[in-house]
Amino acid sequence: MRISKAGLLVVLALLAPLLVELRTVLSWVNVELTVLETAVVGAVLVVVILVWAFLPENGDGKTTEGDVSSEN
Amino acid sequence: MTMSNAYIDDFPAEAKLVRTAFYSSFLALALGGVFGIIQTLHRTGYYRFIDSADYYTVLTAHGVFLVISFTIFFLVGVFTWAITTSLDRGVEDLRFSWGWYGLMATGITLSGVAILAGFTDATDISASVLFTFYAPLQAHPMFYLGLVLFVVGTWLAGADWFRSWWAWKQENPDSRIPLPTFMVLTTMLMWYIATLGVAAAILLFLLPWSLGLVDSVNPLLTRTLFWFFGHPVVYFWLMPAYMMWYVLLPKVSGGKLFSDPLARVVFVLFLILSVPTGIHHQYLDPGIAEGFKFIAMTNTMFLLLPSLLTAFTVVASMEHGARQRGGEGYFGWLTALPWRDPVFTGMALAGLMFAAAGFSGMINAGMNINYLVHNTFWVVGHFHLTVGTAVALTFMAVTYWFLPQITGRALWSRSVALGQVVLWFVGMTFMSNAMHRGGLLGVPRRTAEPQYDGFEFEAAVGSMGELQAQIALGGILLTLSLVLFFANVFGTALNGRSDELPANEYAGTLSGPEDAPLVLDNLKLWTAIAVVLVIFAYTFPLLSIVDRGGLFGPDINPLPVSLETVHLLAFVLESHVTGTLESIAWLGVNR
Amino acid sequence: MNVHTYEKVWLIGAMVLIVGFIVTITYGSVGLGIAMVDDSEETIEPSELDEDERFADPRVEQVGENEYEAYVVAQTFIFQPDPIEVPAGSEVTFYVTSPDVIHSFSIVGTNVNTMVIPGEVAAMTVEFDEPGEYGVVCNEYCGSGHHTMEGELHVVPDEEFDMTELSVEADDEVETGDEATIEVEVENRMLEALETTVALEIGDETLEEDVTIDGGEAETTTFTIDSADLGEGDHDWTVTVDDYEDSGTLTVADELEEDDDE
Repeated sequence: MRISKAGLLVVLALLAPLLVELRTVLSWVNVELTVLETAVVGAVLVVVILVWAFLPENGDGKTTEGDVSSEN
Repeated sequence: MTMSNAYIDDFPAEAKLVRTAFYSSFLALALGGVFGIIQTLHRTGYYRFIDSADYYTVLTAHGVFLVISFTIFFLVGVFTWAITTSLDRGVEDLRFSWGWYGLMATGITLSGVAILAGFTDATDISASVLFTFYAPLQAHPMFYLGLVLFVVGTWLAGADWFRSWWAWKQENPDSRIPLPTFMVLTTMLMWYIATLGVAAAILLFLLPWSLGLVDSVNPLLTRTLFWFFGHPVVYFWLMPAYMMWYVLLPKVSGGKLFSDPLARVVFVLFLILSVPTGIHHQYLDPGIAEGFKFIAMTNTMFLLLPSLLTAFTVVASMEHGARQRGGEGYFGWLTALPWRDPVFTGMALAGLMFAAAGFSGMINAGMNINYLVHNTFWVVGHFHLTVGTAVALTFMAVTYWFLPQITGRALWSRSVALGQVVLWFVGMTFMSNAMHRGGLLGVPRRTAEPQYDGFEFEAAVGSMGELQAQIALGGILLTLSLVLFFANVFGTALNGRSDELPANEYAGTLSGPEDAPLVLDNLKLWTAIAVVLVIFAYTFPLLSIVDRGGLFGPDINPLPVSLETVHLLAFVLESHVTGTLESIAWLGVNR
Repeated sequence: MNVHTYEKVWLIGAMVLIVGFIVTITYGSVGLGIAMVDDSEETIEPSELDEDERFADPRVEQVGENEYEAYVVAQTFIFQPDPIEVPAGSEVTFYVTSPDVIHSFSIVGTNVNTMVIPGEVAAMTVEFDEPGEYGVVCNEYCGSGHHTMEGELHVVPDEEFDMTELSVEADDEVETGDEATIEVEVENRMLEALETTVALEIGDETLEEDVTIDGGEAETTTFTIDSADLGEGDHDWTVTVDDYEDSGTLTVADELEEDDDE
């Protein structure tokens, strides 16, 4: 995993404000999403984050900070 | 026989007091939560099993139990811990300490019974006057009397903590006041000044009036006295949370507090600026001159300063902790933070929400834009982010740290605790967002049924129905979060005594008290400045209100103060106060 | 005192923000003229509103060419008058007070919003640019029926706005051969004179009379009808003045029952 489970949980939680505010922000540029469309966008984002989080790290040397274990 | 160095090991008697205060606080939280979900479902129309007239009794109970009993019982617990831990001495007289606890408990029970009696016709006792109890709405005398006893209890608690500090000072004449003690003392000084307003409102007017000793009251006067107390009380809720962000958050982040001196500056600023701002709740009140409102507005804006400073210090301390744990990069350090720890994550999310609350608060403070949001659902959204999240979520998060310290038992489940704080964050996001947006459409606060016959609210984005659904969803998630919280409180209480508890320690500092100018510890000076500012901000509005409407209502005109003089003075004071505040702000920082 | 450089920068930024806020608010007040509800109105005895010249009869008054005053009473759990009718494009000053507890007067979807405190009169001057219908709510808890407290504000196009009041006094019954009278009083509460036509329709007949009513005055037009022309029976009549209408029924009988005249 590229991120700790707890870190993943917090990232997913942070999606909530992002999604509820997204509709308002998009309406400023005349894009009006329905609740269903917002939910779909949310589901896509969740999947993308999950895929990213569970992809094995390839050791490209750039993303080491994601590896720090968050146990204390 | 125990090996650990937890609070209960060092201070077993005080731990029992703190525990009792916390459990009282949690009882209020449970009651407040139950009333919260009832009113969420009623107001949004999803499930109405009470009469809409009873909604206001539910709302009164929700408000009083959560913002008076939950917050303040927790505060006295935290402050007792802070005093005893940072001075490293037990309370001076345990019977006295239990005395103030008993007074607070008796008081809130009287008020609570008066409120809950509103549900039954068996007695004519009721107090469905909401947390603000604006006259001419009248509650049963028991409600007012209970509040008085409760407040007197907090005064005695403050006296207890001052007593500890004085005793400690005799033995340590040349030492700086330890930071947690400094925070307790400044907060209590602010509280003594602030509660004068509500004490006057109740003892001089509302209680005699409810007992039939006087016939009438001046509604604008009692309302103004309420807000004299009503704004600083929000800082009274907030200060224990701030204390936790300063002394505990850096510790659980793995580092140290960035700056002890600036923490002191922040608490001094709250002491001197919290009270002379109450009139900003009355921007739309007739009978108060615009100049007085302007003074309150400028004071309020300067009150942003300590919160902005706190934002810096808290984030800087977290970053320091993360780097101690091996975090690197501009933002990469964020991943090195202990997200697995509910104490940390709860406080971090609470702080994040408080930043959002700060933005809606800036809108509220804007005098003329207040026309748009005053008394709308927006305001409810705002304070569910402040007291409902910044304070409540911080309190719940630190409970997971405190429970082992005060019970001697290991926390029941860290995973459930983590889920609980995250769930609160998500639930409040849904609820508060919809409340803010509803408010912008003109949806009023404090109403059982926000549907009207003659018109409909028009949503700019989405629909009213969606906003209602979002509020109900948020309310349900918050209720679930509370259930998880109580599962942990009970589960921990049922655990066996553990002898492997973490030590009772709070955060060290990168820049310690030796960097703080001595004048910061001069509590007499700051109290004097606070009193002078209050006199500036309130004398003339109060005199003017009494002159206009009489002490006991519009019939009587006892105080001959010329209104022209008042206006002139208001404008002189306006510039004077602003100037003073600026110099104080800089004084604290530039030394 | 040792303050970190970044923290100094942050502190300066914070002060700039705060001063900026105060400046924008001051500009809003002074530059844009968004005045706060204040203490400019005299206090009032809440229990004696029915003797007050403004609030005894809650209403809208014209006080200048494009200036109106609305005297509104907010009480548990209604607003008076309801609906409030004002013209678009004019300056309207709302004066609001309460005889009982604290209410608010808040026009939904606008920034017209004020607390209503017994003993005090809230005054707000606003201008509605566009015609429309608005809801009025009380947004301060005022008792168990608080959620039912609502009213309406109708902003009508300037050219359609008038303050004409029509009242008709008419005979109910006449004996065949007698004359029936229908008295029509038209009051013009605007400042400008009103030129209009009072029309009476009864049976197949239409009677019309042109009238000119000075501002603030009332004119009475009396129509006299010969009952013989109508004939025995019930006759519906309608009086029309501009958009206002009143109607009733005149009974013509051969012999009136004396019992009714006790």
